[in-house]
Amino acid sequence: MIAKQKTVKTEVKTPNNICMKTESLSVFYNDEQALFDVNLDIHNNKVTALIGPSGCGKSTFMRCLNRMNDYVDGCRITGKVRLDGFNIYKDNVDTILLRQKVGMVFQKPNPFPKSIFENVAYGPKIHKLTSNRDELETLVEKTLKRVGLWDEVSDRLSSPGTSLSGGQQQRLCIARAIATEPEVILMDEPCSALDPIATARIEELIAELEKRYTIVIITHSMQQAERVSDYTAFFHMGHIIESGDTKTIFNNPKNQRTKDYIGGKFG
Amino acid sequence: MIKLFERRRRITVQRIKKKKSPFIYKSYSKKPKHTWLKKRKAAERRFKRAGFIAILISSLFLVSLVWNIFSSGHSAFTETQIELPVSFDADLIEQGAYRKIIQNSLLDVFPKVNTRKEKRSLFVLISRSAPYVLKNLVEQNPELIGTKQDMWLLASSAVSIFYKQRLLEESNRIGNINGLQAGWITQLAQSKRMRLDFNFAFFTNGDSREAEQAGVLVSAIGSFLTILICVLMAFPLGVATAIYLEEFAPRSWFTDFIEININNLAAVPSIIFGLLGLSIYLNFFGVPRSSSLVGGMVLALLILPVIVISTRNALQAVPQSIRHAAAALGATPTQVVFHHTLIYALPGIMTGVILGIARAFGETAPLLMIGMVAFIADVPKGITDPATTLPVQVYLWANNPELGFVEKTAAAIMVLLGFMVLINLLAVYVRRRYEIKW
Repeated sequence: MIAKQKTVKTEVKTPNNICMKTESLSVFYNDEQALFDVNLDIHNNKVTALIGPSGCGKSTFMRCLNRMNDYVDGCRITGKVRLDGFNIYKDNVDTILLRQKVGMVFQKPNPFPKSIFENVAYGPKIHKLTSNRDELETLVEKTLKRVGLWDEVSDRLSSPGTSLSGGQQQRLCIARAIATEPEVILMDEPCSALDPIATARIEELIAELEKRYTIVIITHSMQQAERVSDYTAFFHMGHIIESGDTKTIFNNPKNQRTKDYIGGKFG
Repeated sequence: MIKLFERRRRITVQRIKKKKSPFIYKSYSKKPKHTWLKKRKAAERRFKRAGFIAILISSLFLVSLVWNIFSSGHSAFTETQIELPVSFDADLIEQGAYRKIIQNSLLDVFPKVNTRKEKRSLFVLISRSAPYVLKNLVEQNPELIGTKQDMWLLASSAVSIFYKQRLLEESNRIGNINGLQAGWITQLAQSKRMRLDFNFAFFTNGDSREAEQAGVLVSAIGSFLTILICVLMAFPLGVATAIYLEEFAPRSWFTDFIEININNLAAVPSIIFGLLGLSIYLNFFGVPRSSSLVGGMVLALLILPVIVISTRNALQAVPQSIRHAAAALGATPTQVVFHHTLIYALPGIMTGVILGIARAFGETAPLLMIGMVAFIADVPKGITDPATTLPVQVYLWANNPELGFVEKTAAAIMVLLGFMVLINLLAVYVRRRYEIKW
């Protein structure tokens, strides 16, 4: 699906409930190692939260999942990241198709300074998911309805996406990401620039999206991680200290550092 | 008791004042305790005043420049005409001796003129172009032959200047006007046979040996052709260079080297580009000399660094997050540039390009090197025809010793400045209207 040429060798049988999987993933920025042998399973149709103090490698890890690290100068990656069993760091992998399958939402809402319609329609357009204008309009409407933005913007689809409020902009960005029908959505602190009400709406939306998509979310808010996620991975100094069921991590952490971080002793 | 009371009152007053406005320096007391504060404020006032004076002086220069140009140039927009009773003699017309017809009508008005020398002085009152005007008129209206008409004919530039200046102040001889001619002009003026009319010829003619016929049309068209070539060449080259350097090229010593060179190129004296054009375009590639094609190519070199630098700045102003957003949706690097970065940077790029055009429009020195300084009287029919540009025309007229060209020079400068203002207004409009605020 992602690989241009499907080779049997690259396919590794993974349990059906595992969507993405990293195997001894290490990342270097100009000889400085940012991630050390990270192994993590990301479960199908579940929310996985990545927590940890700033600079611990969460964002680096997330960017590895859709190869956005390709844009960082001097970034080198070893190890494997598997999506549906295929290693996405194989040479014959097309990053364009990969990023259609793995969407991303950024920390700061960054809609294109084009119309709301164009914002949502951009992904489907470049991947040629629709064959005519009517289909595209239907898709945009469906997508905007899914993020609960349709009622608010249906009468001004041609006004610029940047004219919306911060929370609306972020939902527009989520709509933009899910318009290409990805399997996985990566969210890099999607609520850090939003007020509590907008945050609550996004969290509702995440719970809604969970039914269709696999979601990986970075957050600095322990409460948010606890509220929205099913699985949690705690990063520290480029290592995964602990990962697993959110309830277990929050209520019964095995590692002392996890306990300290969740308890607010550092970070 | 009273003293005590008074003292207490004063203290309370002071305290209230202090409480009310602790940051207003004056209310503390009349004697400034904080002399450093006073000094600081004085320094601020001094600095403001210095800035104001600087602006005043520079605007004074500007105003005096504009006033100087306007006062010596506004008279070029009018032309002097003399009314003569012209008899369209059939014999003379057949011979094509239109000059003779005009000479005869001059002699009609001044019958006392006898000697050869006097006649010569008399005949130069009328512009040398007048016979051609008559010829055209007769060819279009053959029914005029054999009739006698009062006609307004163009005066020569010496007469024109004398007449225009006489209107302003009673001065004696100006330019090449001798005493006899001055008398005739006065006589003509008194009999209301002289008038000023709007000088259409200035906007419809090319260069001419006769100041009264010289116009800016040819050089303006030459300018536009040159700028057209310049933009067609510099815009794609400059924008492509900037996009490659900004969006695709990996940072290395090579791109750093190119960047330093481009920045240096912007500071190279413009005449050097003219020499480059002379040796490469003309002598090596054999592009037609003094054509607008070669002029545009030279000016393109000149504004290339301007376009590259402004395009790079405009691209840098597009936030990285937009590029990432597009890339994360699966856009290829080329798609990211052409669907997003370039589109959002376009207003900035256009502003830079327009300012580059303004610079190219006013450039003279490099064009002198490639032969665009020639005398061009005809509208260039194509980009390979000999042409000249407005600033070069100004240069040519300014060098012309004939007095009539003084006002023409100033008027051409006014036309040039008018175009400059228009171009800059366009740049401001584009920036205001289309710029994206991040």
